[in-house]
Amino acid sequence: MFSRSVLAKAFAPPLEQVARPSLTATSTTFRACLHQSTTTTSATNPPTEPLSATVRAQSSIPAVQPTFQTSTTPVTRADVPADKQPIAPAFTTPLKVSQSLLSTLPQLTSQKPHYITAHLHDRPYLLTEGDDLRLPFLMPNVAPGDVLRFNRASLLGSRDFTLKGSPYLDERLFECRVRVLGVDSEPLRVKEKTKRRRRHVQQITSKHRYTLLRVMEVKAKSVEELQREGAIVEEEAKA
Amino acid sequence: MPVQGIRSVTSARNGVGAFILQCKRLDFHYCDWAGSSRGMVSFLKHQLNAFAKQNPQIEIRVSPRPHKHPVIKGHYINGREKAVCVRNLEPEQIFQKVNLLKQNSGEKNKRTKKPVTSINDSVRGIWSPYHGGLKSV
Repeated sequence: MFSRSVLAKAFAPPLEQVARPSLTATSTTFRACLHQSTTTTSATNPPTEPLSATVRAQSSIPAVQPTFQTSTTPVTRADVPADKQPIAPAFTTPLKVSQSLLSTLPQLTSQKPHYITAHLHDRPYLLTEGDDLRLPFLMPNVAPGDVLRFNRASLLGSRDFTLKGSPYLDERLFECRVRVLGVDSEPLRVKEKTKRRRRHVQQITSKHRYTLLRVMEVKAKSVEELQREGAIVEEEAKA
Repeated sequence: MPVQGIRSVTSARNGVGAFILQCKRLDFHYCDWAGSSRGMVSFLKHQLNAFAKQNPQIEIRVSPRPHKHPVIKGHYINGREKAVCVRNLEPEQIFQKVNLLKQNSGEKNKRTKKPVTSINDSVRGIWSPYHGGLKSV
């Protein structure tokens, strides 16, 4: 739960706190989902036996490693430890797909490569697979090697087809994963500040740090995948 | 026939499949006598062991450098190295510097305006006046 709140801050601060009363408009629901969270998840798994310093100090027998409770999050990747598994998003309504989307989606999914306009803190980034992304800020609570999943996008397209969101696509329609590569910094900036009638120049320095990401995957889900995940086909008899 | 870019051989992109930390080696230099190395010596004694255990992918070398200020040098996969002078710093401050070197990409610090850099071809192709949607005057 801790990593969840961390990601909520990082990705969608205002929308995550909303109690989401109107879920009929599925295109406006967003939820951050981290694939591999940071190392600071010790709060979720308390050790079964309380730590006692006296026993350890007196006995020469090596102390038994505290066993950790297995979390209830779904295990999707075997190589990721249990406390770093992604938290499954809890959607209350299944994804609704219109007939027109159902008929045209195979053309988009079969045509590769794809591009995506992913939004992070309401800024658009046009990404393709393998791109370098240097965020204009330092993302908190991530370590090099972590995998993030971007869940908000306004455009997803290939050479001839584009899926447009109004304003955003439902996050169950696509997968966009990025890997945290590290932290970069800029050269020292020196700003000279002066006041009037004062023979003194202040030199203000700053040196910002930025998070480096690399796009691992940009994928439009196919119709079969959507149906396997429980998407409902909407009837459009009115139009 | 739409306009197409020149095809090129694929280049390795760290992180798309496997991920390798860019920092491959950290050198710690200290002086036993000088006072500016006091924090560094304390760091080496008490904190370096845990750091090395947490980061098995980084080679760590510790060597004395008498009559000089303490220095941490990071060596990177791209062949560059970054050195940070840690004279008169406390062990906590030195730990921050070590983390900085560990997470760094090894590139020269640059100021960039564009957040995304791509070596891929344009997905939607290059616009051409001679193809598609021709209009007669």
